[in-house]
Amino acid sequence: MYGFHSRLLHIDLSTGQSSWRELEEARLRAFLGGIGLGTSLLYEFAPPGVEPFSPSNPLIFTSAPLVGTGLTTTAKFAVVTKSPLTGFIADSLSSSHFALELKRLGLDALIITGQAPSTVYIHIHDQKAEIREAEQLRGKSPGETEALIRAQLNSSAVRVAAIGQAGENRVRFATISNEGRHAGRGGVGAVMGSKNLKAIAVCGGRETRVADSTGVEAIANSLRQRSLGSLTDKYRKIGTVANLAVFNRLGTLPTRNFQQSTFDHAEALSGETLTENNFSRRHGCASCTIQCERLFKALNGAEQRLEYETLFALGPLCGIKEPEVVLQAAQLCDLYGLDTISTGGTLSWAMECSEKGLLPEARDLRFGEPNALLAAIPLIAQREGLGALLAEGSKRAAAEIGGESLDWAMHVKGLELPGYEPRSLKTMALGLAVSPRGACHNRSGAYEADFSGEVDRLRADSGRGALVVASEDFAAVLDSLIVCKFLRKCFTDFYSEGAELLSKVTGWDCSSAELKRIGERIHNLKKLFNMREGWRSEDDWLPERLLSETLPTGVAQGTGLTPNELREMLQGYYQARGWDEKGFVPHKKLKELGISL
Amino acid sequence: MIVEPARNNASAVILAGGKSSRMGRPKALLPFDNQPLIVHIVRALKSMFAEAVVVAAPDQELPPVPATVVRDEVPYQGPVGGIYYGIKAAEGDFCFVTSCDVAFTNLSLISYLISHISNYDVVVPYWQERFQPLHAVYRRSVLPLLKGQLERGELRPIFLYDKVRTRKVQEDEIRRLDPEGLSFMNMNTPEDYKEALKRWERMRPSLTCTVELFGAARLLAKTKEVSLPLPQEATLSHVLSALAEQVPVLVGRVINRDRGSLVSGYTCNINGLDFVRAPSARIHSGDKIFILSADAGG
Repeated sequence: MYGFHSRLLHIDLSTGQSSWRELEEARLRAFLGGIGLGTSLLYEFAPPGVEPFSPSNPLIFTSAPLVGTGLTTTAKFAVVTKSPLTGFIADSLSSSHFALELKRLGLDALIITGQAPSTVYIHIHDQKAEIREAEQLRGKSPGETEALIRAQLNSSAVRVAAIGQAGENRVRFATISNEGRHAGRGGVGAVMGSKNLKAIAVCGGRETRVADSTGVEAIANSLRQRSLGSLTDKYRKIGTVANLAVFNRLGTLPTRNFQQSTFDHAEALSGETLTENNFSRRHGCASCTIQCERLFKALNGAEQRLEYETLFALGPLCGIKEPEVVLQAAQLCDLYGLDTISTGGTLSWAMECSEKGLLPEARDLRFGEPNALLAAIPLIAQREGLGALLAEGSKRAAAEIGGESLDWAMHVKGLELPGYEPRSLKTMALGLAVSPRGACHNRSGAYEADFSGEVDRLRADSGRGALVVASEDFAAVLDSLIVCKFLRKCFTDFYSEGAELLSKVTGWDCSSAELKRIGERIHNLKKLFNMREGWRSEDDWLPERLLSETLPTGVAQGTGLTPNELREMLQGYYQARGWDEKGFVPHKKLKELGISL
Repeated sequence: MIVEPARNNASAVILAGGKSSRMGRPKALLPFDNQPLIVHIVRALKSMFAEAVVVAAPDQELPPVPATVVRDEVPYQGPVGGIYYGIKAAEGDFCFVTSCDVAFTNLSLISYLISHISNYDVVVPYWQERFQPLHAVYRRSVLPLLKGQLERGELRPIFLYDKVRTRKVQEDEIRRLDPEGLSFMNMNTPEDYKEALKRWERMRPSLTCTVELFGAARLLAKTKEVSLPLPQEATLSHVLSALAEQVPVLVGRVINRDRGSLVSGYTCNINGLDFVRAPSARIHSGDKIFILSADAGG
């Protein structure tokens, strides 16, 4: 078969056994690879109601049809599991040479279940999986782990994905890191740690065959050209850190735990200022022409990668105004393997608790206090002192502290909010409320409607439902092909160009309608997984603060979001999805999408 | 001031040597915008061209003007003579040629004309069923043909157009940038002059807005903010055109070469509230215009 290897490798760390299994074409055509295939396998391999840290919870790595074809921005892989933060689906993407090498193993999915008796890493090569002892790697950072394993295996071809101390200690928002990039959200690193699995090292040799190599090459060339034009200027010339100054002026920069949507010191932290003062070099994922990654000079002389989400979460969200402090905090998160959004989100919750007298043991932890922020991050990773509470994430920590702190725990389903103020981005507010993985800006880009001018971003209406649906289904396809979202504007008609591309890679005769339907099917299956794991209507909701306080500053001053407005948008969304009014997927929808459970 | 690198090889030529018989006094010296008309025109063009050449009659009186002044070798040979002497004296590979009796210089239209010269020898507007040879772009390579015309006494420029690669710019193209055709409103009589003065008063800058630049645009411009004087009833197109003049490095990278719209990948927001891309969007005094990536988020 073209584009896929049509098989998966299942490794059970409890028994040490591994087995290959065929992946049937019908499943691949129905769900593609990446997030789609991962969701399908999660539904099958996770026992209903499984505890996220149970050995039975599968940790699933998937590849995708476009990986290895040389198409720009496609060197990606997905990690799917049941999230220890949300209890629902966690689906994370990352991008590096690990993605390419994973596919070169000759598989489309790697499923890890069980729990090793002591810390191990897995080395997969030459069609076999070796489980190797790794006690000596405990406590090492992902970067150190990668270097040590490559040295031990004496191979520069081997690629490694690893967890840091946060993953080992089951911090619920730990990441899986690879070459400085991360499968970041939802705590996939904690699930890996719960299996006593420190790292996965891969070295394959199987190339991906495509059905029409000339056709694929022509599209690849065209996309490469398009990726170098003005449509990607932002990513090529400044990176995602460009968002900060704009969001501040648009009144949508979450600040001091969402108490404000503007930050007085935004200019000092802006991507433009960082570029002028701290820029070190530009970098990118494997096989990528956009090269959006920016490395900045930190105070200790090291280079630190910084994205907008990290900048916002460790900067304005925590009231921190010094770029050097944000860079240092980001370094610490990378060193321990922590999701920066959830780290900043949980810390800013704690800062507010501390300032309001609810955390007497953490008096120093206050907004804008660099030392307190920098001291707290290692405590979280090591679950020491206050860190033991914060390692649980804002939802569980607030349940522990109780009282008003529940109102300012800024999460959806347990996942901390990204850097988009929902009150001044109403379509995004809906997107965040309904996202299967919790407050997420990646599995839909609902904010695009708000930033396009096609809707009034400060007002809510039921019409937003259809916009969110379209954005979610589009993201599901991108995340399953896999194509980077930063290429999205370079397509003139994504579904028809995507279908043509997929057809040339796989040899299928795929239409744009089929591709669209695949996106819808994937999204519905995510929701079905969540329903099976106990989803209730009230899980599609926003934190109390957003529904009871208006924005005090900036161009959106005075803007709020009422529960009724959110309910109206939710009804519009469920209707546009063809779900019932409580948000459950009806049987007829399954039939329509050809999903059999 | 050079507008953008692509136009380093372009010059402006202004023909000033007409007889002004119907006007009753030399047109080049008519007061306009508190300066002689010829100075007003040269100044406007110098914001876009590195070099300006004024072609005057041998004995014609001219005020001090920031341009190279050349004299017709043979006086009153009509426009072909002026075009020929002007291009000959200019250093550019191609020249935008105009006359000294058109007060309303539309840089967006001129930019549009120039953007088409690469595959042609002449780019000439066709307005109200007439060629406009004195608002056209000529490649230096047409000089021998113009010389031949002078020798044969063919004093009408349109004789040239059949012999070379000529791009006829249609009225609908022109109207997109200059709806009323002010670029071709030359002043021949005292009434024309009076009318132009009145119109100029109406069009004088009368409101101010601030452009805030973000992301790649800010890095290019090396400034966060630009204050712009604009005419009454200004639109986004006016803003972009004025911004292009103040921050020429943005032309071709953030602002299209027509100077009235943004390149793909960029968008505008007015006062942090309304996202707009339509060039016709109205601007009011005191507005803050953000120029940012169209790909917000990510």
